[in-house]
Amino acid sequence: MLPEYKTSVKKVDNEEKMSGKALFTDDIQMDGVLSAVTVRSKISKGKILNIKLPTLPEGYYFISAKDIVKENVCNIIFSDWPVFADKEINYKGESIGLIVGEDKKICLDLVDQVVIEYEEKEPVFDMKNSAIHKDFEKGDKSVLNDPNLESYTEKFQTGYQEQVYLETQGMLVYLDGDKITVKASMQCPFYIHKAICRTLGYPEDKVRVIQPAVGGAFGGKEHYPSLMGAQLATALVKIKKPIKMVFDRKEDISFTTKRHPSETTISALIDKKGKIRALDIHVSLDAGAYIGCSGVVLSRALIAATNTYKFDYVHISGDAYITNKIPSAAFRGFGSPQSIFAIEMFLAHVAKKFRYPGVLYKNQYLVETGDTTSTNGKFRDKIILKELIVKAKEMSDYDRKEKEYSKPNSYRGIGMSYFLHGCGFTGSGESDLIKAKLIIRKDKNDIVTFYTSQVDFGQGNRTTLKRIVVDTLGIPEDHVIYDAPDTDKTLSTGPTAASRTIIIVGGLAAKAAQHLKDIWVSGKEQEIIEPYVGPDYIHWDEATMQGDAYPGYAWGVNVVEVSFDPITYEVHVEETWSVYDVGHAIDERILVGQADGGILQGLGYGYLEVEEMANGEFRQKTMSDYIVPTSMDAPKMHTAFIDNPFKYGAFGAKGAGELTFVGGAPAVCIAIEQAIKEKIYKIPANPEYLMEILEK
Amino acid sequence: MNSYIPTSLEEALKILFEHDCYILAGGTDLMVQNHRSSGLLPTFKKDVLFTSQIEGLDYIKVINNELHIGANTKYISMIESKFVPTMLKNVFVEIASPSIRNMATLTGNINNASPAADGTVPLILLDARLVLQSKDNKREISVDDYLIGFKKTDRKPNEMVTEIIVPLTDHKYLWRKVGSRKAESISKVTFLGAYKTSNNKISDFRIALGCVSIKPVRSKQVESKYIGLTIDELKNKKDEIVNDYNQLIEPVTDQRSNKEYKRKVAINLLKSFIDSIK
Amino acid sequence: MKIKFNLNKKDVIVDVDPSMRLLDVLRNVLHLTGTKEGCGEGSCGACSVLVDNMPYDSCLTPVINVMNKQVMTIEGIRESKEYETIANSFAKMGGSQCGFCTPGMIIVTYALLMKNPNPSEEEIRLALSGNICRCTGYQAIVNAVKDASKGGKHE
Repeated sequence: MLPEYKTSVKKVDNEEKMSGKALFTDDIQMDGVLSAVTVRSKISKGKILNIKLPTLPEGYYFISAKDIVKENVCNIIFSDWPVFADKEINYKGESIGLIVGEDKKICLDLVDQVVIEYEEKEPVFDMKNSAIHKDFEKGDKSVLNDPNLESYTEKFQTGYQEQVYLETQGMLVYLDGDKITVKASMQCPFYIHKAICRTLGYPEDKVRVIQPAVGGAFGGKEHYPSLMGAQLATALVKIKKPIKMVFDRKEDISFTTKRHPSETTISALIDKKGKIRALDIHVSLDAGAYIGCSGVVLSRALIAATNTYKFDYVHISGDAYITNKIPSAAFRGFGSPQSIFAIEMFLAHVAKKFRYPGVLYKNQYLVETGDTTSTNGKFRDKIILKELIVKAKEMSDYDRKEKEYSKPNSYRGIGMSYFLHGCGFTGSGESDLIKAKLIIRKDKNDIVTFYTSQVDFGQGNRTTLKRIVVDTLGIPEDHVIYDAPDTDKTLSTGPTAASRTIIIVGGLAAKAAQHLKDIWVSGKEQEIIEPYVGPDYIHWDEATMQGDAYPGYAWGVNVVEVSFDPITYEVHVEETWSVYDVGHAIDERILVGQADGGILQGLGYGYLEVEEMANGEFRQKTMSDYIVPTSMDAPKMHTAFIDNPFKYGAFGAKGAGELTFVGGAPAVCIAIEQAIKEKIYKIPANPEYLMEILEK
Repeated sequence: MNSYIPTSLEEALKILFEHDCYILAGGTDLMVQNHRSSGLLPTFKKDVLFTSQIEGLDYIKVINNELHIGANTKYISMIESKFVPTMLKNVFVEIASPSIRNMATLTGNINNASPAADGTVPLILLDARLVLQSKDNKREISVDDYLIGFKKTDRKPNEMVTEIIVPLTDHKYLWRKVGSRKAESISKVTFLGAYKTSNNKISDFRIALGCVSIKPVRSKQVESKYIGLTIDELKNKKDEIVNDYNQLIEPVTDQRSNKEYKRKVAINLLKSFIDSIK
Repeated sequence: MKIKFNLNKKDVIVDVDPSMRLLDVLRNVLHLTGTKEGCGEGSCGACSVLVDNMPYDSCLTPVINVMNKQVMTIEGIRESKEYETIANSFAKMGGSQCGFCTPGMIIVTYALLMKNPNPSEEEIRLALSGNICRCTGYQAIVNAVKDASKGGKHE
């Protein structure tokens, strides 16, 4: 039976994308456009002593730190990543300069001929130099002195993950009059805008960023395009001709940002009945050579460390370490997949220790409405996690299968993960940092136009945001115009990140549309600039990690069934069942798209996708070596939503983009554990690792 | 680099007589290996002879209980052919992706001589031969002898493979490809075991293993030790067989797997093959 | 050299190196940008085109290999009646998200349904197995192909 999506509307970009008419960055044709190719460091750490350039033919340029107009820094949350390495090299592949010219082949030849003399230093590849440390606790500490409690400790590791957006990173820059104009594959137009203004020292109105069609992002285009933008804008100021830089897949995988590898240690004090009385969690993240957004990734990993559970006492701490490797940065989930994997596996292991079947053990710790969060904030909104669990069990026939597969040599397993995801920026970031403002205006013909800076890189938000405005105003769809972001036309409604688009910007769009409706006078030009106003109860202190970490939470349950081949140690994911509370589901078809894609990417993270680092270099650099699931690896997937409208989201909606990723890895690993009757401590749990476990 | 686009075999052989060329059929290996960057021409270090316009090299026929496959024959044609035995089809249908099976030739797979090639495993098991032609000569060589090392073949610069000859047999067999995923995957280990029985005795016994050495591993000497045994005797010698093959294989660690895994899985597959014999 | 082939039902002649990738001929010489480059090594299927009705990876195809053959790209397919059915089914089932793999997916679907108008789920998954999609988890695409195979009129 094929699904029927009763609450869905036609996606606005369907026609252009299916027909091949949509123009992605590399599809944009422009006369006289030059190519840019990056000169990269060949060492992981050291000093540049000398750069010896080949003779550059007429019309070919070398752009490097010496060409920096104002500031040699790429504006990212913590701005320590230089636009071009000047003297210090901190990772292999770091950009030292660009060769720019008409013929890409000549540019590549010239790059090969650049000779750089280094003074090499000993690189650090292990997590030992902490750049950011965070530490907080909750509950009654006195339990730590109870002599009757047993201590139990486990350690978990997660690997790199590559986004594999189908369209590689690419950017086109040109001058429109004296205005720097950028078209690129991106997530956050205003991040690029700000990065360019900062490195050039230009005022905001001298830079314009326009979003063309974007072929996937998953976090990978949140920060890296800012670096490309700062580099290409520097070149453009000097050369004054259009320049395009589009990465081949190999360059993209080799040198752009990935998910942070992690190591999490969890220690519990457990009473005689098997109940955890106190928990100590430490999360280590490998930030790579520059901090960038790693502080925030660490925060979010720590906030999520107790997942959907409450314990009498918890102490949570973590470090982000600087290493001489490619910087790690945003990827769907932003820290929480690492720590939620660890706590889910830990609880599954403690359950086994005390002989509890399935999810029975962890169910005793579930948070409920009104409980405090890990940071002493409050879960104010109604929590329906137990309903999600009941539904997921029913859909998957969990109890029967759990019992059956627990028999010896079943080589089949079923695993169930619980998870939550905080939507929007951390704490009061939405009100204090982002300060989104949305313009909506109406012309004399009552045609309404509104603007956001949200990029639709596949999630369907162009369709849903438009629908929110159309439905609020109650006017025909073709009376509302909503185009892709252009920084000349829109005020910033913030980045397309943090599962904030529908809950925050959607809410803002609904409010703006309602205000326009309230003052609506037919035939008159009207405009409203709607600022974001967060719930006034949100108080957050990032330094102490105390307070309400998020404006709202979305919840989920994944059930994953696997079969295991004891001859080849291969896992096949047979089927998945997912139930989510994303508030109110505005467009079911779009949400199922997020759910299916999210869980498959999460499963890949858990059992399939291997990205190893050796001597500061990734070993898997191509799509035939970095393996993502194909249609034959993907299981049959079932998804349900339970309605639980959120007061502050548009039409009661919360975030869904990242949530759907988080539960895949723990669920598949718990299922594999049942199939092999051994414990997993590391992802990806690929056949090589499973063999190691089984043959030890 | 010069491109040659012969339309007849005769013309092709004449070109090869005069020029040292890459011979490119479907291009699915050579176009990757010589790719530099999007929008640029491939960077071939030698001249290239394209076979796609040569007439008469795309055929599948059976002569004297042997399958004759023309050098330009694509995988898809073999998968859909009524002449090609199931054993070969089962191997071919797991190679690369559907589009690559539409483009690529088995001849190309042989000549690429990759240790991870799937196509050469059944050819070696079935004692397949190749016809090589040059302007003045024509010879036959077994696939096993043709593959002489890592990415190395016995082809002389003036020769080209024009036909693959595969003896048709009715062995019972077990084929397993172990890759990183269910489709579109470069193998980590491949296993093909085949046998025949008569009067409860093993009348033929063959094993070929891929990805565990510089070329598919097969030893007729080892196989001959077990031919003539009863099925039970063979099964009782499982440890000895395992030991034999453990010494024959020498897998290496690469970016797709490690040598411990490849060895273990190859042996597990061998054991399950022996168990399956009946 | 001058190479002639039939592109989207019209004869074209391009004057290029015979080793040039068909993908580069389509995108850079003929300015047909509906065919995408995702990996450049035949691992993703974003560059799928039809050559004599069979899906090919245009990134691995030297243009000489399509001499005198029939090539169809999304720009040609989208003019067909079958495309309309397939595109409607993709829309109905949510088969296109970021859209970068979509032209390739539609090409492969078109070829499958021409050859096998009523494929099973396994046959569909096999036919799509060279085309990577990182957004949908494939379920919606498989559903779309099923729906299209029933002419868009499923039960």
